[in-house]
Amino acid sequence: MAEEQYPEKWGMVIDQDICTGCQACVTACSMENNIPFTGEEEVAYGRGMHWLRIQRYWEGEYPEVSPTHTPMMCQQCGHAPCEPVCPVFATVHSESESINLQVYNRCIGTRYCANNCPYIARSFNWFDYEVPAPMNYYLNPSVTVRRRGVMEKCTFCVQRIYAGQETAKKEGRALRDGDVVPACAQACPVDAIIFGDLTDPNSRVSQAARSERGYTQLEELGTAPRVTYLKGGGTYGG
Amino acid sequence: MNKPLPLWMRPWVRITFAVVVLIFLGAAAGGLYLTQTVPEQPIQFPHNFHVGSGIPCMYCHPGAQWGPTAGLPTTQKCLGCHQQVEKRTPEIEKLLNYAANGQSIPWVPVAIQPDFVQFNHRPHVAAGVECATCHGDLTKMTVAEPQRGQNMGWCLECHQKQGPEKWERLSDCALCHY
Repeated sequence: MAEEQYPEKWGMVIDQDICTGCQACVTACSMENNIPFTGEEEVAYGRGMHWLRIQRYWEGEYPEVSPTHTPMMCQQCGHAPCEPVCPVFATVHSESESINLQVYNRCIGTRYCANNCPYIARSFNWFDYEVPAPMNYYLNPSVTVRRRGVMEKCTFCVQRIYAGQETAKKEGRALRDGDVVPACAQACPVDAIIFGDLTDPNSRVSQAARSERGYTQLEELGTAPRVTYLKGGGTYGG
Repeated sequence: MNKPLPLWMRPWVRITFAVVVLIFLGAAAGGLYLTQTVPEQPIQFPHNFHVGSGIPCMYCHPGAQWGPTAGLPTTQKCLGCHQQVEKRTPEIEKLLNYAANGQSIPWVPVAIQPDFVQFNHRPHVAAGVECATCHGDLTKMTVAEPQRGQNMGWCLECHQKQGPEKWERLSDCALCHY
């Protein structure tokens, strides 16, 4: 079984039926993780940097069109295509947290991982991007400011995972559901992003992931993604 | 006719080569020296006296108990004792000057890690690691001195001693790098 081979821990559920595509998660992610703003010109060259983006698809014929929004980030695959191709082991699997890591100080920028990622979830620092004057006060001290030539991607806000574990340990208790909330889930106004521990069958994320509306992106590739999307298509689990 | 000497045997080539090597070695030694020197502090704080008189480290650096950074004492923290202590030395006069002007003391942090290392004091203190294990024996220093060889191998050496059941977590890249 895939579950035995690739043990899972942290997971995310994204409810596409209530996602409005407001981009609050994208903004929150950029602020939390010190993601540089590359600017219009760089985006035109395909060098825009996002750890989380919203893919919008139109359904139906005009004027009867309706959009669906797919927030897309690193799926934290249990069987990740990015990991075996890194020549310097800069992207490795965390055995204790069961997520994919990107070790910035080890990365030499070959970009093999990004080319092998079926979700196009990785972004590369083509240049050292300047953080304009008042914005440098927003930089999060818990996250490394990456420099030129380094690959980066969604980390499931691993700094918040460790902060949550620290708080729990400090208070001498076990980690509770809701102790760890990544920036995107915190910012989502409709609570469409649920994050938590998949090993706990009673956690909110486990219950949501068992929904009949659930599917994972490109599951035919066998990457064992940790992000479950919920989409009923109007039938709501029929 | 004498055959001309091969290039590597000519004296001027050898002297130039030696000078270049010496310059490189000197630059390397100087660079290494600069990273290991004690930075200039605003007050020549005598750690040896304070630690020697039995003040616990966490009295002035309490952040180590509950957070990532140990913190450097504020002017008010120093005054807490030095208002009571009658003794006046030039260094204490400096402290009183800072206090009179309402300024904080611009301490220079000594034990620093690169930006890509996320260190947290609390778990180390909670696990019973002595301050002196990493910061050296402060009873023998006036101002704090940087300790040599605080690199990743040194971190992992200690993490490895914590036992195989903790090794999985303590060897995780993301524990320190994110």
